[in-house]
Amino acid sequence: MDSFLVATRILHYAASAVLEGVFVFWILIAWPAFRRADAAQGLRSRLDRRLFTLAWWCLIVAFVTGGAWLFILGSQMSGMPLSAVLPAGVLVIVLTQTHFGTAWLIRLALVAILAGCLVVQRFTRNQVPAVIGALAAAAFVASLAWAGHGAAAEDVPFDAIHLPADILHLLATGAWLGALVPLGMLLAEARREGSADAVTAAQAATLRFSTLGLTCVGTLLVTGVVNTWFLAGTVAALVGTLYGQLLLVKVALFVVMIAVASRNRRRFIPRLTDVAGKTADRLLAVFQLRRNVLTEAGIGVLVLGIVGVIGILPPGLHTEPNWPLPFRLDFGEIAPRIQTVLWVVVFALAVCITVVAITAWRRHHRLTTASVAALIVFVAIGCVAAWPGIVRAYPTTYYASTQPYSAPSVARGAPLYAANCTPCHGADGRGDGPLAKSLPTRPADLTESHLFAHKAGDIFWWVSNGSDNHVMPGFAAKLTSDQRWDLINFVFARAAGIIADQATSHISTAAAPPLPDFAYEQSGAQNTLSQTSKTGPVLIVLYAARVPLARLEQLAGSGQRLSGAGLHIIAVRLDSSAGKAPFEVDVSDDVRAMLDLFRTSTDGGETELMLDRNGSVRARWTASKNGGLADTATLLSDTVLVARIPVAAANHAGHAH
Amino acid sequence: MNSRIIAAALALVATLTTTSPLLAHAFLDHSDPAVGSTVPSSPTVIHLWFTQELEPAFSWVTVSDQSGAAVTDGNATVDPSSPAEMTVKLKSLSPGTYTVKWHALSVDTHTTEGDFNFTVGKG
Repeated sequence: MDSFLVATRILHYAASAVLEGVFVFWILIAWPAFRRADAAQGLRSRLDRRLFTLAWWCLIVAFVTGGAWLFILGSQMSGMPLSAVLPAGVLVIVLTQTHFGTAWLIRLALVAILAGCLVVQRFTRNQVPAVIGALAAAAFVASLAWAGHGAAAEDVPFDAIHLPADILHLLATGAWLGALVPLGMLLAEARREGSADAVTAAQAATLRFSTLGLTCVGTLLVTGVVNTWFLAGTVAALVGTLYGQLLLVKVALFVVMIAVASRNRRRFIPRLTDVAGKTADRLLAVFQLRRNVLTEAGIGVLVLGIVGVIGILPPGLHTEPNWPLPFRLDFGEIAPRIQTVLWVVVFALAVCITVVAITAWRRHHRLTTASVAALIVFVAIGCVAAWPGIVRAYPTTYYASTQPYSAPSVARGAPLYAANCTPCHGADGRGDGPLAKSLPTRPADLTESHLFAHKAGDIFWWVSNGSDNHVMPGFAAKLTSDQRWDLINFVFARAAGIIADQATSHISTAAAPPLPDFAYEQSGAQNTLSQTSKTGPVLIVLYAARVPLARLEQLAGSGQRLSGAGLHIIAVRLDSSAGKAPFEVDVSDDVRAMLDLFRTSTDGGETELMLDRNGSVRARWTASKNGGLADTATLLSDTVLVARIPVAAANHAGHAH
Repeated sequence: MNSRIIAAALALVATLTTTSPLLAHAFLDHSDPAVGSTVPSSPTVIHLWFTQELEPAFSWVTVSDQSGAAVTDGNATVDPSSPAEMTVKLKSLSPGTYTVKWHALSVDTHTTEGDFNFTVGKG
């Protein structure tokens, strides 16, 4: 059914685009062009007849394929076979209760309006019905945005840009691609007629189309960049997913279309507009122009084909990209000053390329040579500046974990680590297992903060396929993909715990690894750390055996002031189920095991961690250390400081797909 | 009028250009109780937050115990003021592992499905 849906979508897009194209062509191109070529009235009426026929066919195809699209979606939405969709009344539900249905009802009304406009237009010489028809056709194309991703909201501030960008993109496609067909018809009719007047009309129309095309190409470029940003999101998604690759093919086809169009402008239009030239020469130009217009339209059909396929794929953001190169550019590895140099170089490159294009077009060969030389110099500077940022990459580098970084995953990972990793990396992960000394390469220390400098996808590659020339074996055959992610979550959590041990009572704003998420129950209400963290800093009190009642009561005593400052307190007893101490929460055993990673046996019986809104440890106090635990005044001032630490950008890796 | 070739050059510079109305999917962002979590006592409702707005008419959730019996109390609902969130009431759950199956239709017409477990009682 997918291929049927793809075919339906392609036909529907094509018919809608050409419908808009016909009306735009009439109003913006044909009529003004013929106004200057009064003698070509025969040509005009023949063209009008053909355009009417074309518009009717487009309307019929759009109506039929629109209906088919509704049927297929009704079947997909309800999970029923196509034959059951109508009897079960699914279409009524789709039409009345979904956004798609609303858009389709509006489009059905637009079909009726368009049919009316075509009928009235046929029998009058008045231009009003055509103008109404043009508006209706534009609305018909624009409303396709609600059949697509433009209607979907992921991040509210972006909606205001994405939907208008989508609509403009559709309208520009219809006005340019769709109007190519009527232009081809006009050129064909003009050549058949062969008179000087016909050539003049063709010339006027072609020049006007050129202006229209330029406007549309500009719109397509800007809106295309905006949409790509929303839907592909990252370079990895663009080059590493089928979705992104199809987008790139689409861009390439678009560039070819522009190349064909610019050839028209440079070579054929000057011949056509050469009034002193022979009519035969000008007619030949009309013929060549028509051939190129057909080529453009043909490439346009390929573009629509990609649109048809791409629309049923999940966008690049939602699939794992396979990175095609053995290296990548890691901006974090480049010094800030050099980063500034890089941005300047990128800007200079853009300027150089533009200058090369303009001077080549205007045939200022010396300037072109000079700017190409500048281009090469800037590329060289860019390469040198970016060199430190070139790091090894693997196909899985941009994979996001399939398992959320949370207590259950860490709990599943712990026994997997013990069974598979301890011989080399050691029980504590310090790279000192029993086999470590016999190996040609020292096993990696999995407790260093450097661990977090690697992308999780890199570590996933090493765990799956081995590293150091297979001194480390791959576990792809032994552990499932989910198990490998659990293992990695455990390794991250333990390293985060060890790094947290080094945290002091002074608030640190340096990058810090976060605590895994966990569920807890506090005074009968269930909650998770991630949800609590969003509201402000969290103080986690960890203890075992001896409940630090005095401390918890002290905290409770200043509880109102602390919560007023935005601090949330969670007290967890690690060795048994919860009692009734203040702030004490009830958690499951896997959460206790995970939180134990963030405490040492030498803490004097109690550890307190202050987490920022990302769940990262910003300060740590123990009952045994100098200075001991923080007093209320310190907690209050620290809460204010920690609350200022910005929330990291939304990370798709955090999604539990 | 030469600007058409400038546009072509811009296209090359930008390299990222055209897209079209594309369809995306609603994925489960997070849930309460969380995916794979153990909660100490029976929750009264389960919330599922998706990465996109849902069509209530074609989105649903089932929660079943280990024997496969449904433990939901009524159908899943989508609050119009929070269209990416699906909520379903639960009967009182005894300790054990429960399977949540969700079926979501996003406002851009795409269906996604998934399931996860959570456990009630000491894990």
